[in-house]
Amino acid sequence: MEMSGTGKQGDYAFGLMYSYAHRFWNVNGDSVSKTEIQNGDDVHLMATVWDPETMTVLPETGLSVEIYRDDSLVSQEAIYPMLSQPMGFHYGANFGLDGDGEYTVRLSVGALPTRRSGAFQGRFSEPTTVEIPFEYSQQAKEEIMVKQMEDESGTPGAVDPMKMEMMPSSTAPAEDDLPGRVIGSGMSNDAKFVVTVLDTPPAGIDGDGQYVAVSARSRYNRMILPAMGLEGTLSRGGETVYEGEFVRTLDPDLNYHYGAVVTGVEPGDKLLLQTTVQPQTARHEGYETAFGGLMGGMEDVTITAE
Amino acid sequence: MDPLDDNLPRRQVLKAAVAAGGVSALSACLDMASSEPVPTGDPNAKPSRQHAWREYIRHDEHGNSQLPKHQILLYIIFDEDGQPSADTRLILEQALTGLDRAYEWSHKGLLHSIAYSPSYFERFDQSLPENVDLPRPTALSPFESPTFDTQDAVIHLASDRADVVLEAEQALRGEQDQVNGVSVEARLTDVATIDSRRTGFVGAGLPAQHQDAAGIPDSNPVPEASPLFMGFEAGFKGNQATEDYVTIQNGPFAGATTKVIANLRQRLDDWYDEQSFEERVTEMFSPGHADKGLVKGVGSNLGSDSGIDQFIGDIESDAKAHNRVGHAQKAARANRDADGNVKLLRRHFESTDDIGSDQKVASLHFPSLQRRITDFEDVRRAMNGTDLTKVTPAIRQRVNNGILEYIFVRRRGNFLVPPRRHREVPTPQPES
Repeated sequence: MEMSGTGKQGDYAFGLMYSYAHRFWNVNGDSVSKTEIQNGDDVHLMATVWDPETMTVLPETGLSVEIYRDDSLVSQEAIYPMLSQPMGFHYGANFGLDGDGEYTVRLSVGALPTRRSGAFQGRFSEPTTVEIPFEYSQQAKEEIMVKQMEDESGTPGAVDPMKMEMMPSSTAPAEDDLPGRVIGSGMSNDAKFVVTVLDTPPAGIDGDGQYVAVSARSRYNRMILPAMGLEGTLSRGGETVYEGEFVRTLDPDLNYHYGAVVTGVEPGDKLLLQTTVQPQTARHEGYETAFGGLMGGMEDVTITAE
Repeated sequence: MDPLDDNLPRRQVLKAAVAAGGVSALSACLDMASSEPVPTGDPNAKPSRQHAWREYIRHDEHGNSQLPKHQILLYIIFDEDGQPSADTRLILEQALTGLDRAYEWSHKGLLHSIAYSPSYFERFDQSLPENVDLPRPTALSPFESPTFDTQDAVIHLASDRADVVLEAEQALRGEQDQVNGVSVEARLTDVATIDSRRTGFVGAGLPAQHQDAAGIPDSNPVPEASPLFMGFEAGFKGNQATEDYVTIQNGPFAGATTKVIANLRQRLDDWYDEQSFEERVTEMFSPGHADKGLVKGVGSNLGSDSGIDQFIGDIESDAKAHNRVGHAQKAARANRDADGNVKLLRRHFESTDDIGSDQKVASLHFPSLQRRITDFEDVRRAMNGTDLTKVTPAIRQRVNNGILEYIFVRRRGNFLVPPRRHREVPTPQPES
């Protein structure tokens, strides 16, 4: 993978990267379909969008790409959110190009549909576009491919995340860094759900009581797992205390998480978490059987509050 | 050189026509061989509404309107600053009356109108009557940043005959002394500048013929029978407002309507190459349409109504069960009044214009008529399906969310189509 450039506009910073064309798996609900490399696919373009103030990666913005060469349109697509081991959450698609040379790539985000809390309230609510120059050469791309082959080691777990100096990775906060009181965690198909309880909901979230936040991250790399449907049941001695949705939310401290307001959580309470919809992100190779993927849905997780 | 002089050798004609007017001109030349005489018109025999098309165009066997095959939009800016002068009014009147005289008001002749923007009415100190809802254009989705068309006015030319719309344009530009045997007495371009010229086509066969444009995969997927690039019929009679319904009923602009014209770039690679027919039916109409096999081919079997009303209530459960929702299903939610009447009269047509470049790129010109611009805005917002992205993460901002993945809004303008009696540079409060 190579970095092409970065841009900043409004509330958003953008990074544009490319690699050789990749096959990937598209996810719609529980249906997973392989997208093979098509004839004419020259590159896999990837984009990351983040908040330049907090360096928080913004999933679910929606992202579309226009590629121009000498003012002539080469391609335009709404591209898909994706998960890969080295990159975590990003947007990506394969594109055909018109040979070696200078291109201009316009990246456009839509307003973030995800609920926002704390200092993120009211931010990321406008669409915006940046232009990033993109230099393409087939030879340079082939060199990336050779390097990638050399690096492949066949060890279990996940490939180490790439370190990109110019941009943040989509890493969830370490357990110790999560605000509130971490009451436990559980694993579902290589997704780790870390549950923390805040005494009051973050600013901007209605309701009286405590706030239960589920931070879902990849088991090995701690990459956020966005765009799931998550339902939870909190029970105490057989009585249901809360039953309902954990809402997709972006918060400057909790990062991307799934949250619900409950009257309170006590030690010994059981929290059953059910993934009704697996992460609606395409999967790069290596993640096609994780977090649902080709395995279908994800198992339930039960946590006993500490 | 006159591009329509059929004495010129064919190749020269083609070249001149392409230079003069791109796709439509080219089509015109192809049509020329079998040209029948075009009926002339009588200025006193025109309907009182400029937007009166329904009685004057073809209908299919189900009574659905068949829009004129060839259309041109000329966005104009009057040369004078401030309020238009009597001279401007006179020239415009002569130019438009010339078209009235040259062509019958029909698909065989010419349907034409001039509509005025909010910017135009800002030339006056008075404001529009309260019952005329004509806000400036605005972004209508959380993911679009269109360029707004704020020219003074737009002239819309429509005919089944490509040579007619081209010739009418030549008349307005004063590039012909005579059109259809009627002499041209005034030219619009003496008082106004054509800021943007847009062309298009609609009807079975034409999209298939033009599918070499960028944005449509090389597999030539557009069916011959389809009136539009996306492969389905649209604008069924039962899903369209009537002309009466969209007409302003009272006040000085009684007989007028409002018109939104958007231009959308179409990117249909994934629409055709990644999706099955059933998935396209799901995303265009509703999951129920696909489940029940309601749509055959381009959808002619739907008759005079897409049947969308019966699938509006299911939209949230469809989102959860099918991970997709339909375009028509979303839009229809806001496109009915309390009595169930449809609010918008859509008259969209296809194009290979790529505004601002010479490239051939699939696009859609989307004129919609409604009594109030706000009605259009409500429907467009319902079409965004933003509420449905909260129901399930499978419905994303643009993906699995109707056809939003494949369309990119580039332009939008709002206009008032005055009644014929006020069509020449009206004041905001014309005397009835």
